[in-house]
Amino acid sequence: MKNFLRQNGILLLVIALLLSVLIGIVSLVMGGSADPLSNIVNTVTSPVRGGIAAAADWVESVYAYVFRYGELQDELNDLRTQVGRLQEEVRQGEEAVRENEQLRELLEFQTRRRELTTEPAKVTARSTSNWESTLTLSKGTTSDIQAGDCVITQTGALVGVVSEVGVNWSTVSTIINTDTEMGGIVTRTYSAGVLEGDFSLMNQGRLKLNYLPEEAQLVSGDEVLTSGRGEVFPAGLLVGKVEGVFTDPSGQTRYAVVEPAVALDNLIEVFVIKDFEITE
Amino acid sequence: MTRRDLIHKWLVYALGLLPVWLLDAYILPRYPLWGTVPMLLPLAAAAVSVLEGAYAGTGFGLVVGLLWELAYPGGFGGLVFYMALAGMAMGAVSQYALSQSFLGCLICAAGTLGLLDLLRVAGRLLARSAGLSDLLEAAIPEFLWSLAWTPLVWLIFCAVHRRVGGNKLA
Repeated sequence: MKNFLRQNGILLLVIALLLSVLIGIVSLVMGGSADPLSNIVNTVTSPVRGGIAAAADWVESVYAYVFRYGELQDELNDLRTQVGRLQEEVRQGEEAVRENEQLRELLEFQTRRRELTTEPAKVTARSTSNWESTLTLSKGTTSDIQAGDCVITQTGALVGVVSEVGVNWSTVSTIINTDTEMGGIVTRTYSAGVLEGDFSLMNQGRLKLNYLPEEAQLVSGDEVLTSGRGEVFPAGLLVGKVEGVFTDPSGQTRYAVVEPAVALDNLIEVFVIKDFEITE
Repeated sequence: MTRRDLIHKWLVYALGLLPVWLLDAYILPRYPLWGTVPMLLPLAAAAVSVLEGAYAGTGFGLVVGLLWELAYPGGFGGLVFYMALAGMAMGAVSQYALSQSFLGCLICAAGTLGLLDLLRVAGRLLARSAGLSDLLEAAIPEFLWSLAWTPLVWLIFCAVHRRVGGNKLA
């Protein structure tokens, strides 16, 4: 056995063990920042990742143009109708906002403000594993991105939270990933709960709104936003819609299954919220 | 085999690993089959271990493990040791028990992938992060879909093996 191991790379195995321990310790110590070796590898491979993502996006768009032209035309018509309806809603909303501001002034309330400082970034890679849901972005510490920053789409829907940052790249843990945990609120009923990732739901592209109050009467289609409790994440980011309400196996708490507003598989560009100031 | 031959041989193997890595890290995750993404890196380690034996398998496993830990998100270090150990075991099994063939590679790849998925399932069960049936729903399709890529990976590394002189130079 001793001879076998000596002839067959026991030294290499010891080196592998030491490297494993070293990488483990460094990852633990570095927290949200990438360890130096990962940082170098990912920084060097970043142009390759960006190039492949750009080429794949182009091929997909050509494929959609050639083979899904009719479908895209229908979608365009639907969107035009939707834009017309939304423009009408915006007009009504503007009136309501004006009225709201006047009432706030009368009651001497502080003006509601919502300022987000964002950084646009391209999605250059998707989850490489079936055990987690992550995205790799094209921006990192050089663009002032930090671990814990929220990531949204151009429509303001929540994509996830930055979990690891390198020089010119960052990894986002998506909202359906098992490590997600943030406050959520249902807009119709103001029922607050905790948004949590769940392994079985992650594979269906869903997440949980846990610990719902007993009196909460949620229905399918109710909109869920971030509550901003703890002031770690901004309030009012659209998470998704309630798909159904269930009681957990212990029978103690109720939870809602939430369908994210964002199609995580088709994201090309996102916005990282580097700073926010919200006055309610 | 001279030092120059040896460097040339492992450079060509590294070039063989390049398309496998690009497929695994950047292309296949965009097109999951029924939500499942395959793992190609253990297949690369299996192919090289079967073709080159235990010593080279350990070294190649170490390199594959390092690539996996450093270029992919969420690494904690364990894969470097696991892949080096798997490379050694696969090389030894193919040298002493199996043949240096596609079937040998398939059996070794199945063993490595199976054990890796088993460890992942056990880890999550211990952490109570999910139920066994949910974990198996992820692990079994991953195992089967990954294994389905063995012929392609085997062909790539067989071509590399022939290019570097096959068993004559080894």
